[in-house]
Amino acid sequence: MGVETVSKTQNSQVQVKRFSKAFVVAHAINGIAFIGLYITALPMYTEFFDWLYPLLGGPEGARLAHRVLAVAFILPTFIFLIFDPKGFMNWMRELVTWKKRDLQFFSEFVKELFGFKSKHVKQTFFNAGEKINSILQIVCAILLIASGFTMWFPDLFPTALVQWGYFLHNVGFGLGFAVVLGHIYLSVIHKHSRPGFTGVITGKVPAEWAKSHYTEWYEEEVKKGNFPDLDDPKNKKNKGA
Amino acid sequence: MATEYVKYVDVTKCDGCRACMVACKNWNDLPAEPQDFLGTMQSHANVTADTWNVLTFVEHENSKGNLDYLFRHSSCFHCTDAACEKVCPENAISYTDKGMVVVDQDTCVGCGYCVQNCPFDVIQLKNYKDENGKEYRKAHKCTMCTDRLDEGLQPACVTTCHTGAMEFGEKDDIIRKAEKRVNEIKERYPNAMVYNPQGVGGTHTIYVLAEKPSVYGLPENPKVPTSAVLWKDYAQPIGKAMVGGVAMALAGAFVANKFFDKKNGGHEEDGGGNRE
Amino acid sequence: MTNHWNDLQHTDVCMIIGANPAENHPISFRWLLKARERGGKIISVDPRFTRSSSQADIYSPLRSGTDIAFIGGMIHYAIENNLFHKEYVAKYTNASFIVKESFKFNDGLFSGFDEGTSSYDKTQWAFETDKEGNPLKDEKLENPRSVFQLMKKHYSRYDADTVSTVTGAPKEDYVKICELFCSTGQVGKAGTIMYAMGTTQHTVGTQNVRSYAMLQLLLGNIGLPGGGVNALRGESNVQGSTDFALLWGDLPGYLGAPKAIPEHATLKAFLEKETPKSGYWINKPKFYVSLLKAWYGPNATKNNEFAYQMLPKGNKNYSHISLFNAMYKGELEGAFLFGQNPVVGGPNAGKEKESLSNLKWMVAVDLWETETSSFWQKEAGSDPSKIATEVFLLPASASFEKEGSITNSSRWMQYRWKAIDSRGEAKADLEIIHVLATKIKALYKNENTPAAQPIKALHWEYGHGDHPDIDIVCKEINGYDYNTGKQVVGFGALMDDGSTCSGNWIYSGFYPEEGNNRSKARDSKNTDGGTNFLNWSYAWPANRRILYNRASADPSGKPWSSERAVISWDRAQKKWVGNDIPDFVPTKAPTDEGGINPFIMLGDGVGGMYAPTLNDGPFPEHYEPFESPIPNVFSSVEMNPTVKVWDGEFNKKGNNKDFPIVATTYRVSEHWQSGSMTRNQEWLSELVPHMYVEMSEELAKEKGIKNKDKIVVSSARGDVTAYAMVTKRFKPYKLKGGTIHHIGMPWHFGYKGYATGDTANRLTPHIGDANTMIPEYKAFLCNVRRAD
Repeated sequence: MGVETVSKTQNSQVQVKRFSKAFVVAHAINGIAFIGLYITALPMYTEFFDWLYPLLGGPEGARLAHRVLAVAFILPTFIFLIFDPKGFMNWMRELVTWKKRDLQFFSEFVKELFGFKSKHVKQTFFNAGEKINSILQIVCAILLIASGFTMWFPDLFPTALVQWGYFLHNVGFGLGFAVVLGHIYLSVIHKHSRPGFTGVITGKVPAEWAKSHYTEWYEEEVKKGNFPDLDDPKNKKNKGA
Repeated sequence: MATEYVKYVDVTKCDGCRACMVACKNWNDLPAEPQDFLGTMQSHANVTADTWNVLTFVEHENSKGNLDYLFRHSSCFHCTDAACEKVCPENAISYTDKGMVVVDQDTCVGCGYCVQNCPFDVIQLKNYKDENGKEYRKAHKCTMCTDRLDEGLQPACVTTCHTGAMEFGEKDDIIRKAEKRVNEIKERYPNAMVYNPQGVGGTHTIYVLAEKPSVYGLPENPKVPTSAVLWKDYAQPIGKAMVGGVAMALAGAFVANKFFDKKNGGHEEDGGGNRE
Repeated sequence: MTNHWNDLQHTDVCMIIGANPAENHPISFRWLLKARERGGKIISVDPRFTRSSSQADIYSPLRSGTDIAFIGGMIHYAIENNLFHKEYVAKYTNASFIVKESFKFNDGLFSGFDEGTSSYDKTQWAFETDKEGNPLKDEKLENPRSVFQLMKKHYSRYDADTVSTVTGAPKEDYVKICELFCSTGQVGKAGTIMYAMGTTQHTVGTQNVRSYAMLQLLLGNIGLPGGGVNALRGESNVQGSTDFALLWGDLPGYLGAPKAIPEHATLKAFLEKETPKSGYWINKPKFYVSLLKAWYGPNATKNNEFAYQMLPKGNKNYSHISLFNAMYKGELEGAFLFGQNPVVGGPNAGKEKESLSNLKWMVAVDLWETETSSFWQKEAGSDPSKIATEVFLLPASASFEKEGSITNSSRWMQYRWKAIDSRGEAKADLEIIHVLATKIKALYKNENTPAAQPIKALHWEYGHGDHPDIDIVCKEINGYDYNTGKQVVGFGALMDDGSTCSGNWIYSGFYPEEGNNRSKARDSKNTDGGTNFLNWSYAWPANRRILYNRASADPSGKPWSSERAVISWDRAQKKWVGNDIPDFVPTKAPTDEGGINPFIMLGDGVGGMYAPTLNDGPFPEHYEPFESPIPNVFSSVEMNPTVKVWDGEFNKKGNNKDFPIVATTYRVSEHWQSGSMTRNQEWLSELVPHMYVEMSEELAKEKGIKNKDKIVVSSARGDVTAYAMVTKRFKPYKLKGGTIHHIGMPWHFGYKGYATGDTANRLTPHIGDANTMIPEYKAFLCNVRRAD
């Protein structure tokens, strides 16, 4: 990750690189596939969405699309792993690293979520919320992929496994939907997280925002000389403008 | 539900002629499905979407060491608690007023959930091609000739059965008849039993079996799969509630944010977030 | 059948032997299962455990071709254990008759055998008679020359141990069967025997049936409800076609066909020679003249012997095998094959196919192009360029596309109405025959050759145009007064002076008056107190449902038991009354002459325990089939000595070293005969889609064959490839001389239709029964191996 000093004019416009290309691509594919999978699954989940069938080319179209998207959904993990192994490993490491500050995060998060005054707890590359999101998503993904596999190829598995597959796929659907709804809300709609959304598309985020949200990570990157130190006066000239 | 009717199959009166299979294909206009040689007189390994009843042939050495050649008219059981009906995501499977389980082909989307959950391995998918060459699937199985029942006729298989191995009648009468019959044949078939499994709430095809169900390849205690119960009675409603709940929470969050934004004079629109 | 299908419900014990009715006559099981609900028992005797066996109370295997040993042992058992119905045997059978000293039996041969002609001098088997020609009797059945004592002696050799080593029936099961079936010898009990082609298609086929009849007479089981000897006919209308002279030696109504012998030179001579002196057949001249009158109409007059000379007379054997042998030798120019498929259904079918190519022309009348009508094609394995036979295929209507009657095994003549029109140019058989007859007559109209005479003499007036009026045909069969045109009420009204005509005397009475075609009767309410349903269709003769029903009553005319009453003598009304039409002169009292003779069609009026008229002996004797795995245990005579053996390429014989395995053929529920009707029907074809061969697990193991393997079965005549069906339902046979394996296969398959496979009859021999020439399809030798 190189130093990013895109803007000299405004501190808030200083962008830093948060995500690798691989991650951005992987995330995009994953996200689109995920949404596609949900859309193609919705009419099967509840008759309320049966009107989707004609749009999807009938049940057969929906089924085909769902299978194509299922493959698309699995791919990003490998893209991320192959093209950005370091980032992938970092992600994995973060997921298993839990400290006191991660727990503190949650009480503040709830306040923040509903717009109350909150303070930032210092976070590393991923904040605790994101970690929870990642873990839930991974669990859901494994659940959905594994059970989906038995559903797709019922002849390869014992009937009982296929039958449980339906149950787990259903559980995965509910759980995944809830998690993703939160994830999308926080990234797209919730004002304080919105730069994250742009970040996951462009790979870059405002340095200030990064610093405030992921202080520990930011400071570490500054130490490494990768990011500009925002407390450095030369970088503070526009502060409070 | 109106009076419940059931099909009675006394396998000990079956002489294996298979007229029931032909009558079924004839009435329901089902195509032939010639199979590879199966090594026995049995024509099809199992019922299929185009072969709604199959006569099974079992060579069984009984407890006395004698050979029994056991036949069974095998078709849909029409469970009182039908797993297929439970798992159908489109409500394409329903119960008729006589208690039969039927598939509405117009609603069926061919997902095959019913196929995987039937405890008797009865319901199957059939592939079709429309005029544009597009393939689609529908679930099929024995309808108990519901169209005939509606006209006051009996199922085609029952009508054609010449030995009286099959009958169609009111459920209570048939159960009594079946129990009586089992007592009559106990001497010849010590393991004889009425097969009306309660794990699926009883069935609308009630068998007098000469041997234990397993000898006929039938489950001893079939039931609606636990996974299907958890799925349809718990996971799905909870899932729907959860989705709804999260959506509500987020909507609440959105509204609350707007509210606080107004109170705070609407700054930090850009969400820079540095509020030290 | 002496009885009828729904009468089976009255049986106490049903022995199924040489038949597999659950598969081939399924409707019988409707009634057999009713019998079982009343406590009746079912015995199944078959080379393999069949669908019928699945419903049986006792099953016993039987090596194909050993029925006489099996039944002979039962006769022995019944006599030894005194289980027979003594009064019945003494009064109603010829067991009491005294046989001449010239009758002898020694080491498999009866007296009077001529090795040169392979035939017997039957006069040596005659009864002792008094001066008037009446047989001498000993109703105590003690005279050592009485039929009873001779029979007892003959079957004393058939003890259970010997029977078991010949038939392969385990002794324990065999004795159980003897015990159970012979229990019907008690008064008030009735046992029935159901048989079919497993009985008849042997070199001893006639004697097989005879042995059943003897056992049933011994047990007093003939003439009663739930009793009888019941032939399950192999086709829906084979009874009808037999009644109407299907067999080469008969004219309609079992009137013998004349031969080119001096005794048959004139009608008078013929009738004198062929009319018995006693029994109902004394009326034969009336039936004969009425038949001639029906055929030749105004051309049959007293002065020209009622056109008797127009009948063809030949001395050859015109049975199936003989015809094909003539064809094989190029002696036949042309052939009409109506619904016949000998390339699949004929014995030694490979040779039959070859024979067809020697014809100049062949006309096949069928619903489909069969293996026979396409015998000359490449797909049949023929070289069309080398076959000169001109083949015509006339499309025929199926049963639902035409009107007419069929006669089922119960002898019920049942009318059927047309349901749908025929497709294309297909025509009903009647129409095809009609058009042929009128065209041929037109061709010969102006000819005066001897060949033209019979054709010109034939009176053919069945309506105008190409569509015959079937009602005229019906009326002619029933018969009518030739002068008034009024239908006769029954065969009793037929005359020998040319004043009546009748196309088939045994059917006379089915259409006694205008508007009353009784084969159309469909009254399903039984008004007769029994289960004979006298107003449902029409049973020949005279609507009698249980033949010989006089025997259901004791000599005094009282039923042997009230439960099994059919008819009884009503003294007040001076006639026989009951729930069936008496098979007897209705007003003949028990005290009248012949009043206790129930078997009215036989000269002596009694059942023939001893039959000095058959070609191969008065008592059935066990002989091994044409091809046998073991030497005959009972005598040094291996095969029925009176059968005609065709030799050379036409009928190769296999020995038990090259071909150690016994094979038999059979049918399944799902296919019919040569399969031309069922293998062209997809729903039936899918049920039995492949040619298979059933064999025991033990044989399979010995030969390294696994279930579902492709195997080759070979006989001296040819080989077939099929799937192996390894089953517990076949077991190895423990016979004298060791273990013998037995296999079986359906004979339905050919290369046409949806379900195709090799033709089993390529394996079967060209040899027939000594009396009927029915081919021995059911027992031959073969070998098996894996196909790869």
